[in-house]
Amino acid sequence: MNSVPPSPLSHAEIEELLGVYALDAVDRETAAIVEQHLDECIRCSIEVAEHHEVAGMLANSGGVPSAQVWDGIAGQLGGTSDESWDRLAAKLDGPGTSGPGRAGSGRPGKPPVDGNVVSLDQTRRRSRFVTAGAGLVAAAAAVVAVAFGVQANHLHTQVNALQATPQLSTAERVALAAPGTRRIVLTDPTHPGPATTPASIVLTASGTGFVVNDQRGGLARLPAGRTYQLWAVVGKKTISLGLLGSQPRIVPFSVAGSPGVSVFAITNEVAGGVVASANMAVAVGTVQL
Amino acid sequence: MDLEQASDANLVVAVGRWHEPALAEAYRRHGGAVHALARRILRSDPPAEEVTQEVFLDLWRNPEKFDAQRGTLRSFLLARTHGKSVDVVRSEEARKRREERTTREMATASYDIDREVWDMTVAEQVKEALGALPDDLRQPIELAYFGGRTYQEVAAMLDQPEGTVKSRIRSGLGRLRVNLIERGIEPAGAGL
Repeated sequence: MNSVPPSPLSHAEIEELLGVYALDAVDRETAAIVEQHLDECIRCSIEVAEHHEVAGMLANSGGVPSAQVWDGIAGQLGGTSDESWDRLAAKLDGPGTSGPGRAGSGRPGKPPVDGNVVSLDQTRRRSRFVTAGAGLVAAAAAVVAVAFGVQANHLHTQVNALQATPQLSTAERVALAAPGTRRIVLTDPTHPGPATTPASIVLTASGTGFVVNDQRGGLARLPAGRTYQLWAVVGKKTISLGLLGSQPRIVPFSVAGSPGVSVFAITNEVAGGVVASANMAVAVGTVQL
Repeated sequence: MDLEQASDANLVVAVGRWHEPALAEAYRRHGGAVHALARRILRSDPPAEEVTQEVFLDLWRNPEKFDAQRGTLRSFLLARTHGKSVDVVRSEEARKRREERTTREMATASYDIDREVWDMTVAEQVKEALGALPDDLRQPIELAYFGGRTYQEVAAMLDQPEGTVKSRIRSGLGRLRVNLIERGIEPAGAGL
């Protein structure tokens, strides 16, 4: 019999433990009670997953493990049982999938081409990287049409001046020092007179970039219920690169899976963002190829 | 299969088939963050490197423990890293060794520059968001997460009721999440 004993704690009591559980700040016995509850309670599982995501971000500090770390890992790689693969296959490949298994020759099998497994960018930015339909293309065309005074500059012409800027972040310095990184200046197409620069984009050669808000009167803080949204034009498609929040300073994004971005644009939208924008861009910049 | 373009879930599937380059790619993407967290908690490279190795070897041996429905691979790896690091911290013997250690060793190996830039950018935002929390919410999170303390220990250190610490950590994490979203950082999408 594998009957599970009832939890000694109520749902409300366990809810109070979710934060400290996510930070491993409970003893093993309490952790076991929480985990038993999580197996049965979707709502609490979601909350713990969210806490884990936030806690995981606390760890983001660009660590640099020594080369010996990977060497140590590689030296200990070995096979495990078929059972391991079977359980993994059931979870990730779906029912009916029969993989080559991990046993036998030990040679790596061909990774599956699985319709259920989404591409890098879909996974990476599932909530931020929305492919737009025809309506959005039209809207984006309108956005692009109002762009003027835009300019793009290669790193080597900008790096000295940028690196001398006191408020430049460490991340920007590292990015700008990398070969192939470009800085794209975004201008406000609605501003009368000389072009203003509310924000810029630093884009690395591999597709990671970030929006940098000009702190001297760039993208103003938006009221509650509004957010800035970043867009990119790739070929004839316009895609959302994600929400920038109501008071962005430096916001990372990735276009690694979508090479050939020709235009970046930022719009002011309702919180939560939109699939297709009907608003004028507040900042636009073209990427010189 | 172009591993650099593969999703994390696809990498784990490949790891499940003994595809060593897939594990190497997972390490390239997340090894820096894993090591940074371990080092932050353990305050020294040798034990942090041990934990980093254990985390990726665990992924190699038990890939089925990663459930894509419960979060990103990075979040999964960091949660495992934190648990293992806390185990080390709570080991009294290790605590003594750590206190006796006087030299700091700096890691010098390269880490994917693109990944590093991303992490640093996010780190700056997270640091600001954490700093924006009121002290009574921020302190217990820092003591528990980076100090490896139980909430009872945190309560004793701060001279607060245990229930208060539990509530403040929970609400602090919630506030931090909101702060990050306001800054344009979506926790669920932060891991490359």
